Parts: sequence; structure tokens; C-alpha cells
Amino acid sequence: MGALPKVFAQNQLRRSPIYRLTQAAGAFCEVINSGAVPMHYGNSDSELDRARRMAIADLSGLPRTGFKGTGTVDWLAGQGLTIGPDSNMAYRQDGGALAARLAPTEIFLIDGLEATGALIDRLNGAWNWGTEKPRKLIGYPMPRQDSHAWFMITGDAAPDMFAKICGVDLRPHKFAPGRIAQTSLAKMSGIVIRDDRGAIPAFHLLADVASAEYLWGAVLDAMSEFGGAPVGLQALRRLGEVPS
Amino acid sequence: MKVMNCPLNGPRNISEFVWGGEVKPMPDETKLSDREWAEYVFLENNTAGVVREWWCHVPTSFWFIAERNTVTDEIVKTYPASEVFKARVDFAPKSERAKP
Repeated sequence: MGALPKVFAQNQLRRSPIYRLTQAAGAFCEVINSGAVPMHYGNSDSELDRARRMAIADLSGLPRTGFKGTGTVDWLAGQGLTIGPDSNMAYRQDGGALAARLAPTEIFLIDGLEATGALIDRLNGAWNWGTEKPRKLIGYPMPRQDSHAWFMITGDAAPDMFAKICGVDLRPHKFAPGRIAQTSLAKMSGIVIRDDRGAIPAFHLLADVASAEYLWGAVLDAMSEFGGAPVGLQALRRLGEVPS
Repeated sequence: MKVMNCPLNGPRNISEFVWGGEVKPMPDETKLSDREWAEYVFLENNTAGVVREWWCHVPTSFWFIAERNTVTDEIVKTYPASEVFKARVDFAPKSERAKP
């Protein structure tokens, strides 16, 4: 675990909607693409063990965006993205980003955990309606950086924990890697994407930013019986590297 | 819990859906009085039997059509609205509309 300089989330231009909670829990943050992200909570090794069993991480500082409307998928394919035909599936891109196809003409794009922001920056810069009339059918940007909080939930107990707050069966044999469930979680609407870290079940959870503190607390409460607690981004990165 | 089959998301708890009223053919608004238009917008036929209704899957804001038996509350089938509505509906600007 490297000694990180103390970063105070409240001083950063972009901060998580729940930064007060992670700060109170002792988060050590790092600035990634001008967003403060909790990297660990003091002990990376025990966090790695916890991430294998049951944990939640706040990734709200990491880059994400979206595109929507008729022609969106063709335009993104022209930009070099690989997007399969099925809705409610997420497709891995070169560089690690994940293109979540929420509907035939809607893509929610989240960066990989290395979070270079390269693909998302390039797409946000490239999108342009131009001056042609009528307008080309290339869809339109659907900014997601500030609309949704982004948590990752990991561990062998994650499907059991989700069963307490969500009606969709997320057990590994029922909910394959890459599958998306847009459903009700702890009584609020959210998006769940299965994206395992190594051999450990892992799920992105994206939900309304205005209720992020509620959801963080509700999920922590649901995972307490499984020994779940917050972990930093470092533990998630190591989870993908270390054989379980 | 009662389960409804969303054409986009598959079977989900009924608590994830909201009802959006009956599917009715839209009359020509240029030939209606305001009262008749209000009846079209706000009043339901309230048929006993199988009716076609708008339903919305709230977590995705996805509107679709369901055929439901209002006597037994049985959902007969669900399908995307694009199976019924295949063309764009354009309205003439108000100034060009003839008064009935």
C-alpha cells in the first residue's frame, strides 16, 4: 500500500455525492481525472479479503457518459466501439471501458477501473451534430457524470445481499457476466451490471445521484450480516490481478 | 408478488410498473370541441374484459402496451408500442387549425 498524500474531497472540483460518508469512514482519496476517489480506508490487505467476501466501493469520481437516440449505436460503432445486438448487456471496449446497452438506442458508458478517461473524453469531443439540415441521425449525448452515483459491490456473498433489496435473481448461474438489470433496489430505481473481478462476483450499481447517501447506507445495512463494509479502489484493482 | 413481463426487461415485480391509461385511437383534433378533446384525454371507457393499456416500467421509463382482463386482472400479453404506432404523429400549428 503506497502512502498517499492526504486529499480532501471537499477541496476537489469533482467529488462524490457521498464524499462526506466515505470521509467520515476514513477514506484516503486520490484525484483521478479531477475527481476524488477513495483508494483505501487504511488497510489495503484486509480490504482485499473483504472484497472477496462482501464489500462496497464508491466509484462516483470515475469517468462515465452516455449517448442516446436513433443512430446512436451506429455512430458509436463508427467511433470504434464494439456493441452487440442485445439490450441489457454490457460490452467491454479496448482500454477497459464498458458500454452498457440499456435499450436498443441507449448506451451508458462507464470507464474501466484504470480510469484513464481516454475513450470517454474522445467521444465527448467527437460528438457533433454538424450543420447539415435535416440533422444527421447520430443520437445525442446523455451526460451521466452527475446524474448517477456509481458504486461497485463485490464478493461471494453479493448475490445473497442483493436478494434482500432487489427482486431480480443475481446469482451467478442466473445472471451471466455482462448482464444488466434495470430494476428497483432498496425501493429506488437502479442499474446493476455484472462485471466480475477475477473469479469474484462483482456488480456495478448506478442510481440517482440525489438519493446516493440513502442507497449507500441501505446497501451497507443489507451487507452487514455478511461482514460487508467499504473498500477502496485499490482493493478492486488488486482483486482483478490476484488469483483468488 | 404479481409479476408482469416487460418487453424490454423481462419478468419483473408489479411494483416496478405504473398504469398509464387505455390505448385509444386519437381523434382528429381539428374537428373536435375542447370538451370532446378533454373527454379523449381524461376519460376512460372502463370496459369489463380484455383491454389494451399503456404501462410504464419505472426503472427504465419504458412505455409499452399490455392487454389485461379488467375482470380477472390477468395480463394476457405485453408488447412494445412500436407494434401499434408505426408512424410519427405531427400536429399542425394552432393558427392553421380550423375551428369546429
